[in-house]
Amino acid sequence: MATENRKTKQQAEVDSNDEVLQWVTFQLEEETYGINVMQVQEVLRYSEIAPVPGAPDYVLGIINLRGNVVTVIDTRLRFGLPENEITDNTRIVIIESDKQVIGILVDSVAEVVYLKKSEIDSAPNVGTEESARFIQGVSNRDGELLILVDLDKMLTDEEWDEISRLG
Amino acid sequence: MSFEMDEEILQDFLIEAAEILEQLSEQLVQLENDPENKDLLNAIFRGFHTVKGGAGFLAVSALVDTCHGAENVFDTLRNGQRTVTSDLMDVILQALDTINAQFAQLQAREEPEAADSELLETLHKLSQPESEDDTADAAAADDDADVRRASGATNDAENTVDDIQEDEFEALLDELHGKGQGPGASKTANKKEAPNTHTDNDEITDDEFEALLDELHGSGKAPTSAEKQQEEQKSASKSDSDEITDDEFEALLDDLHGKGKAPKVNKAAEKPAQQPAAAKKPEPQKAAPKQPEPKKAEPSKEQAKQPAKKPAAPPPPPPETTVRVDTKRLDEIMNMVGELVLVRNRLLSLSNSDDQKHEEMSKAIANLDVVTGDLQGSVMKTRMQPIKKVFGRFPRVVRDLARSLKKEINLEMHGEETDLDKNLVEALADPLVHLVRNSVDHGIEMPDERQAKGKPREGMVTLSASQEGDHIMLSIKDDGAGMDAEKLKQIAIKRGVLDEDAAARMSNEDAYNLIFAAGFSTKEQVSDISGRGVGMDVVKTKISQLNGSIKIESELGKGTELLIKVPLTLAILPTLMVEVKDQTFALPLAVVSEIIDLDMAKTNTVDGQLTLIVRKRAIPLFFLEHWLTRRPERNKRNENGHVVVVQIGNQQVGFVVDALIGQEEVVIKPLDKLLQGTPGMAGATITSDGGIALIIDVPSMLKYYAKR
Repeated sequence: MATENRKTKQQAEVDSNDEVLQWVTFQLEEETYGINVMQVQEVLRYSEIAPVPGAPDYVLGIINLRGNVVTVIDTRLRFGLPENEITDNTRIVIIESDKQVIGILVDSVAEVVYLKKSEIDSAPNVGTEESARFIQGVSNRDGELLILVDLDKMLTDEEWDEISRLG
Repeated sequence: MSFEMDEEILQDFLIEAAEILEQLSEQLVQLENDPENKDLLNAIFRGFHTVKGGAGFLAVSALVDTCHGAENVFDTLRNGQRTVTSDLMDVILQALDTINAQFAQLQAREEPEAADSELLETLHKLSQPESEDDTADAAAADDDADVRRASGATNDAENTVDDIQEDEFEALLDELHGKGQGPGASKTANKKEAPNTHTDNDEITDDEFEALLDELHGSGKAPTSAEKQQEEQKSASKSDSDEITDDEFEALLDDLHGKGKAPKVNKAAEKPAQQPAAAKKPEPQKAAPKQPEPKKAEPSKEQAKQPAKKPAAPPPPPPETTVRVDTKRLDEIMNMVGELVLVRNRLLSLSNSDDQKHEEMSKAIANLDVVTGDLQGSVMKTRMQPIKKVFGRFPRVVRDLARSLKKEINLEMHGEETDLDKNLVEALADPLVHLVRNSVDHGIEMPDERQAKGKPREGMVTLSASQEGDHIMLSIKDDGAGMDAEKLKQIAIKRGVLDEDAAARMSNEDAYNLIFAAGFSTKEQVSDISGRGVGMDVVKTKISQLNGSIKIESELGKGTELLIKVPLTLAILPTLMVEVKDQTFALPLAVVSEIIDLDMAKTNTVDGQLTLIVRKRAIPLFFLEHWLTRRPERNKRNENGHVVVVQIGNQQVGFVVDALIGQEEVVIKPLDKLLQGTPGMAGATITSDGGIALIIDVPSMLKYYAKR
């Protein structure tokens, strides 16, 4: 009786929290990743990225986004993946993270998916150590694993420190 | 008191008061040289008064007290009951410092500390004219105390103050005429309903109130009550013309008193009650017809400026022609105009490539070119501020320094109206203060010494600003001892900055520049003013950050002149676009001194460093591709490149680039937070073809890469 009670309670809680979130999915190597649609500003075709001498490795360079200078991060390096060639599908996803606009370079952008919160599982130890820390969860859709990325953790505090030390 | 007060009102007050305080410090020093200037005395009085008014409205009693003290002194001064002396000025300046300190606390949203009671006492003493009788003064002081207590007790100080005054006023009315309180009471009600107009009502009432006081006590005491009234007027941020009208009005009443005042009082009291919305009108109307009379009586009163201002007073005050704009918004506009300029540049380069095909198009583009240029110019102008903003503080700085050093110094300023970018004005303030202090402390000799040298006892420091093309020239000149190049070299040798041989070869000008080296000081004794040797290198760094340069000209025994050259604005930067390994970089044109073709035959390796001989001088040569590409191949050199010679201070350095693109004015885009502080990069810009070019910060790049 008591356990049943608890169960229904839990069920109710889950229901009330079970909002639907939208995720933009993109491809890197063989994996599919998702970012919260609210954080995505726009998706651009690949354009010339001007490298910035002296910048950290994971910064590919800067691009001109309608007159604004936006920094582009090398997502592959960040995720501990090998370099890849630029193809027709290569996209720069402009995202807003921590009130800052940055671009991330990805192999391709696929679609926007709707996920209920209850469909998101906590992350198993997928991927490499490097990437594990900014994965906020995974979701299994039609037998395919979607890795949900927490953009605010793309850069750690230490890295921010490191950047400011360069100056 | 808490800061529940309306943040918006507080902000307005802070902005307004900051301007006034800045002016005050300037005016006070001016006053010392021109103590008889009535206009100035009035202006200063009004300045303190306005600040007090605002502070009173916000119930900042500490600030009110200090301003009130200073204001009283000036009221006595402007009435000719006391004369300006150095000692008096010291006290007033001290008071101003206190006010500034309290103001700063208020800015930080802290409760300002009460002023030193000793200071207040001194101020109070100074505000007593010899002729004034004690009882009247005491009464007036009591009055003020009441008002102040009231303002402390409630946030809505103004109403309270008014009420008190109205009570008094009504009491007086009763006393005088035995009339009912009807008008007064309805007025109070009015006021509460229509806060915007109530001050106007008060003005009239107050004037009458004062007139009544005058009648009762004689005119000697009027000032104190007048201040109170003005305080209220000011707190509603009234324009100056009203004040003047008030003063005049007061004078009129003073002069007229005895002449059928009672009926006027009634009329005035009723009028606002009937038409609160049009409350402003009655005042000028009433003032106008009465003008002829007081003019005769003028010499007896303090309105020295009356003749000049009077004709202006009767017509309704002109509508405001200025608007306060947040600088952030201006920056935004500036940014957008920058975009427009870039688009225009792009269109221009497109239209050039597309000969005659689109004649109409290129016409339109040419038009766009002109309009954009104009727009850019106008927007830039909105950001311009006269250098007076910085210069304004120097009279005070020099005066204080001269007094503490017991030197006699005359400060002259030219070209105060020269306009330059707001950011620049702010950025230049500190370096200039430092340089002026240096001139006063190190440059000008002691009066006796000067006399012995056959110079006038009084030293002269001249500050000037002028625009030269797209640059501003600033000069700080003194007629002091000048700089001794030999002595500088000796010190440099002693400090190990320089060796004997180098010193012997060094030109005088280079020797002067030694003072910009960190840790260099010529003063054997360190004073609190200067001499620690930390200042000049900071000055130098700051000025080069502004893409400016600094030059010293000095003649031993005659004096020194420091010449500072800064660009008009920081937003647009003339650059030289160069190409390094297919990437475009922009070098600030200010540092580029010449461009030559690379001739490897003229290079030598000195102590491991490649050097190039340029007009018999060996300058270090660096290949930018070694620094600015991702995986530099250190052994490979582009031997067909061009050498861009840059000048950093006295040092020339050559950079080898692959190709020269040309000169371009660019809008600086700051790099993202992520990339800020990347060594050697000042920012980025969009080139006319839509690409991106990094703007090189040459000193920072050298510092980071050249030591490797």
